[in-house]
Amino acid sequence: MQTRKPGSRVSMRNEHLILIAAVLLSVAPNCAAQEECAGCHRKQAEVHSPTPMRHAMETAEQCGILRANPKLAFRDGAYSYQIVQEGNRSIYTVTDGKTAITAPIDWAFGLGKAGQTYVFQRNGVFYESRVSYYQAIAGLDLTLGARNTQPKDIDDAAGRAMDAQGTSECFGCHSTNGIFQRKLHIDPMIPGIQCGRCHESAQLHAQAAKAGDTRSSPMKKLFQLTTEETSDFCGQCHRTWAQIAAGGPSGIGNVRFQPYRLANSKCYDATDSRISCVACHDPHQAVIATPQPYTAKCQACHSTAAKSKICPVATGDCATCHMPKYDLPGTHFRFTDHQIRIVKAGAPYPN
Amino acid sequence: MFRAAVILLASSAFASQPPEELLKHAIAAHQSGDIDTAIRDYRAFLKVQPSSPGVRSNLGAALARKGDFEAAIDEYKKALEQADNTSVRLNLALAYYKTSQIVLAATELENVRRVQPANRQAVLLLADCYLRQGENAKVVSLLNPIEKQADAGMAVSYLLGTALIRDNQVQRGQVIVDRILKQGDSAEANLLLGTTKMQVNDYSGAREDLARAVKLNPKLPGVYSYYGLALLVTGDVAGATEAFRSELKTDPNDYAANLQLGSLLRQEQKYEEARAYFRRALQVRPGDAAVRYQAASIDLTQGNLEAAEKQLESIVKETPQFTEAHVTLATVYYRQKRKAEGDRERAIVQKLNADAQARQPGVNAQ
Repeated sequence: MQTRKPGSRVSMRNEHLILIAAVLLSVAPNCAAQEECAGCHRKQAEVHSPTPMRHAMETAEQCGILRANPKLAFRDGAYSYQIVQEGNRSIYTVTDGKTAITAPIDWAFGLGKAGQTYVFQRNGVFYESRVSYYQAIAGLDLTLGARNTQPKDIDDAAGRAMDAQGTSECFGCHSTNGIFQRKLHIDPMIPGIQCGRCHESAQLHAQAAKAGDTRSSPMKKLFQLTTEETSDFCGQCHRTWAQIAAGGPSGIGNVRFQPYRLANSKCYDATDSRISCVACHDPHQAVIATPQPYTAKCQACHSTAAKSKICPVATGDCATCHMPKYDLPGTHFRFTDHQIRIVKAGAPYPN
Repeated sequence: MFRAAVILLASSAFASQPPEELLKHAIAAHQSGDIDTAIRDYRAFLKVQPSSPGVRSNLGAALARKGDFEAAIDEYKKALEQADNTSVRLNLALAYYKTSQIVLAATELENVRRVQPANRQAVLLLADCYLRQGENAKVVSLLNPIEKQADAGMAVSYLLGTALIRDNQVQRGQVIVDRILKQGDSAEANLLLGTTKMQVNDYSGAREDLARAVKLNPKLPGVYSYYGLALLVTGDVAGATEAFRSELKTDPNDYAANLQLGSLLRQEQKYEEARAYFRRALQVRPGDAAVRYQAASIDLTQGNLEAAEKQLESIVKETPQFTEAHVTLATVYYRQKRKAEGDRERAIVQKLNADAQARQPGVNAQ
C-alpha cells in the first residue's frame, strides 16, 4: 500500500489510516445520580443543574426545543423532513414524495446553540438525524456532518447509521453511566452529564458517605490534575490536542475543539495552572459568554506585577481581540477560538 | 504459481549400495506424495552421506511441502553451503516468502536473477516481494522491460499496473488497467481500478470496484485488504475488520491487512491481539515506521512510557515528517513530566501542521 514517502503526513493519513484512539469510555456502571451527590455537594449540584452540559442529551419527551416547536420542517433537494409532536412523542419523517421513513425520536443531543441533533432507531440500529435544529435560525438545517453530502437513497437521507464505536462515543460524551466496556447500556444510562461522568468513583463515594465513612472511598481530586492532564481530561469529549494534531480536522473545522486550540497558544504551558481549562471555566457552571470576567484570568500572567508582557492597546476584554470568534460553516454559531494570540489582520486561521 | 520445484537427484554413486536403495525409496515416496516416508528416508540417507547437497535439497522440498518451512530453510541453506545451485536458491527464496521473511526472500531472488536474469518465476516472485515491501519503483524498473515482450502475460501486467498506481504514476498505470479491462470483467481489473480510485480519494467509487473484485475472486491477493481500506475510509469499521480478517485467511503476510487489523484491535483495546498482527506486519516490512508507531502507541496506553519513548524517538529520527509520531512523543514526554521535551515535540507538530496548512488555501480571521 506504500505509495508516497513513508514519513509524510499524507502518506500516513491516507494509507495507514492511523486512527485516533477513541475517548476512554470504560466508565463503570452504577455511578451516582446527581441527587445522591447533592445531599452533601448541594452548591455544585444546584449550579450544575441548569447547565448545557447537564442537558447535553435529553429524551424527546423532555426536550424543550421539540416541545416548543411542535412542527419543524426542512427540505433538501428531493427530500423533505418533518419533526412533528404527537402527544409525548416527536416523530421524525423523511420523504422523497414516493416513499417515507418515519421513526419516533429517542434522544436529542445538544441544546441547539451549535445544533441539536436527533437520534432514532431503525431495526435495532441507532441513527443520527440528517437534519438538526439550530437556535440561530430557529429551525432545521443539515447536520454538520451531512453538509456537502448527497444521499444516495431515502435510507441515506434519513440519517447516518451509528456504528458501535460512534454510538459509544456519542452517548459517552452526552450521557452518564451508559457506557461500560465501550458498549452502550441504555437501562442505567442517565441523559446529560451528571456528577458520575467526570467523578468516576462517585457511586462508591456516595455509598461510603451513606455509611458515614467517606474516607474509605475518597474521590479523585480532579483539581490536582496538571494543566496537561486537565486538557486531556476535558479533551475526552472536547477532543485532546493529540487527537486533533494527529488526526485533524485541520483548518476552521477544529475551532470547536478547545483543548487543542488552547494548547496551540503561545502562552500555553503544560505545567502552569493559570492556563488550564479550569483556570477560566468552572465545569460545574455554565460557560460565561462575555469577555469581561476572563480579563482577570489573563492578567494573572500579563500584569505589571508579574513583570510580563502587557497589552499596549487595552486594559480589559482581552478575549475580544486575542480570542476571536469564528463562524463555523454549517453550525450557525460563532465559536470562540481558544488559540490565544495576537491576531493580525488578514492572517489565515492558524491550524 | 510459485510452488517449490523438487529437484530430484538420484546419484549413481549409490547404485549398488544400500544407501541408494534408501534414496530411491525416498524419491519414489516423494513423487507419490508420501512425504512423511520421504522425509524419513532422506534423513536416514543423509546420516550416512551428509555431504549430498541434492538430497538435502530434496529433503528441504519435502519439508516445505509439509509446511515445515523453517526446517526446509535449514536444509536449503546447508545444501547451498555444500554447492551453489540456482534452483535450490529459488526454493530457499520461496520458503522465506512463505514464512513472511520477505526481505530475505527478495535477497535470494536477486541472487537467482544474477545467474538467471530471464527466470520468469524469480522475476514475478521478486516483483511481488518488492510490492509487499512498498518498493513500487523497484517493481516498475524490474517489470518494465518484460512488459514490452510479447509473452509478458497478465501476471506481469497486473503487478506492473499495481506498482505504477501505488507509486502515484496513475496515468501510466491506467494504460495497463485499460489493457487488463479489455480482457474482460476480471477481479484483477476491478482491484486495479479500485486502487486507482483510492489514490485519487474517490473512496465510494473505489468501494464499488473493490466489492466487485471481491465478488469475482475473493482469493486474489490484496483484494480484501484494499476493500477493507475502502470500507474503513467510508466509515464501515465492522465491514473493514471482516475484510482484513478475510485477507489474512488467504494471505497471512499481507502487510496492510496486518497493520490495519492491528490498528482496529488497538482501538478496541485488544492490545495483545493487535501486537501479534503488528509483529507479522513487521516481518513483511521490517522496521516499518507506521507499524512501530502503532506498537509504541500501545506501549503508551499501557503505561510502558520508556518503551514508547525509545521507539518513538527512533521513528521521528528516521522519519521527521511523521506528525503523529511527534504528537505521541509529546504526550509521552508530558506524562514523564519532561516539559521541555514535550514542548519541543509540540512545536515540531505545530510547524508540520502549519507547513501543511501553508500548502492549502487559508481561512482569514473575521
